[in-house]
Amino acid sequence: MKKGYEVVIIGGGIVGCATAFELAKRGVTDVLLVEKGFLTSGATGRCGAGIRQQWGSELNARLALESTHIFEHLEEYTGYQHSCELHQGGYLLVAYSEKEWAQFQENLKVQHALGIDAKAVDLKEAREIVPFLNTEGMYGATFCQKDGHASPFHCTQAYAQGAERMGVEIATYTAATGFQVKNGRIAAVETTKGTVEAKLVINCANVRAPGLAKLVGQDIPVCSERHQALVTEPVAPLMDCMVMSFLRSYYVQQTPHGSFVMGIGPQEAPSFNFQTSWQNLERCCAVICEALPALRGLQVVRHWAGQYDLSPDRNPVIDEAEQAKGFYTVCGFSGHGFMVSPRVAILVANYLTGQEDSLDIHRFSAKRYETGELLLEPAVV
Amino acid sequence: MRIEEHPVRQFDRGEKVSFFYNGQKMEGYSNETIAAALHAAGIRRLGHSPELHRPRGLFCAIGNCSSCFMTVNGEPNVRICVTRVEDGMRVEEQHGKGVIST
Repeated sequence: MKKGYEVVIIGGGIVGCATAFELAKRGVTDVLLVEKGFLTSGATGRCGAGIRQQWGSELNARLALESTHIFEHLEEYTGYQHSCELHQGGYLLVAYSEKEWAQFQENLKVQHALGIDAKAVDLKEAREIVPFLNTEGMYGATFCQKDGHASPFHCTQAYAQGAERMGVEIATYTAATGFQVKNGRIAAVETTKGTVEAKLVINCANVRAPGLAKLVGQDIPVCSERHQALVTEPVAPLMDCMVMSFLRSYYVQQTPHGSFVMGIGPQEAPSFNFQTSWQNLERCCAVICEALPALRGLQVVRHWAGQYDLSPDRNPVIDEAEQAKGFYTVCGFSGHGFMVSPRVAILVANYLTGQEDSLDIHRFSAKRYETGELLLEPAVV
Repeated sequence: MRIEEHPVRQFDRGEKVSFFYNGQKMEGYSNETIAAALHAAGIRRLGHSPELHRPRGLFCAIGNCSSCFMTVNGEPNVRICVTRVEDGMRVEEQHGKGVIST
């Protein structure tokens, strides 16, 4: 670590690493990225790793669509030696109520306007996509073949290694502990390995971002919600797509390796709990086995917990601290940070380097919670 | 090979049963596991590694390691080291990942 840097990024998840890469690509290479643990040790490494474009708001659909275009060639984009394991097997979003089904039709209009190739399917067609799907209680589904999943570990490494090649320094096992502000501007970051001067700080620390922001007086209304996921033993390929429901709050997919990864939304208050619970395991298995009865005999081999950085309208917050100019917080992705991170990183890097962007970054400001201009999203778990 | 005498343990092997291994008739005892019966019959290759399909033998013997997966009565991924053998059981070597019935 040097004495000072142009930019210090806090957080070695996909958002921090992608932002470092995009900044370096724009010529800002005097960058230090600090990470408390190892890269992907937070929410990125614990996520469901789905990539979907079937969103209900134009903003999210655009972020996801443009991010998918990058995921499709992330290896060439970053010069990565391995595969990022993108597999576009599609997402089957199922509706369990008439209201939800009507909302899906609205969502499709938004998606079609952007050129997202999603379609409504009836129950018979849904069973053609997933032959053993229990369609009882379902009204219909929408399907987009270009949705899928990728390896969060490889994607983050791809960005991190690409950034390092351009001169970005990455310090793992280095936690940011405080900040120094001079004349209303951020001046330095205090870390467990010493203090480094910084002209710009980008706080991408996921659920820990609000706590860090508070140290410079920035109020980010994002809380931490525990979500759990589990994985089964691998079996021969059975289904290619992700099956997901908003109403019953579950998702399940088979990875290329053959294991099934699944999760269900929590029924608990926000917390910093990283432990798994048997209640969640039991509920998750019951709900998934009802939708996909063929999975009943499978053994669960691993179960883990991670955190959603939940914002009031379940959309990202990108904002500069008023009391410490040059301190930016990028968090609040509410469980869909991985799939939009490539585009969000471009947006942030464009803004910080003064380049034009087709998206207005100010729409993500935390002020929207005061003015009421929320980024409402109907299609979110 | 079976241990007939042991200084501490006694073996209650139960009744003699017959089962099929890869279609071939074999004998075992109702209080023994499938792995024990196959071991007694001289069969050492139980599973196959998932990537390179190399042979795998008995390893953990407590149902943990996934090295002895076989298809039993049509059900894949059965840990034969902890599953007792039954009369008329159809035990088959499993190549590749198990296929679950839908």
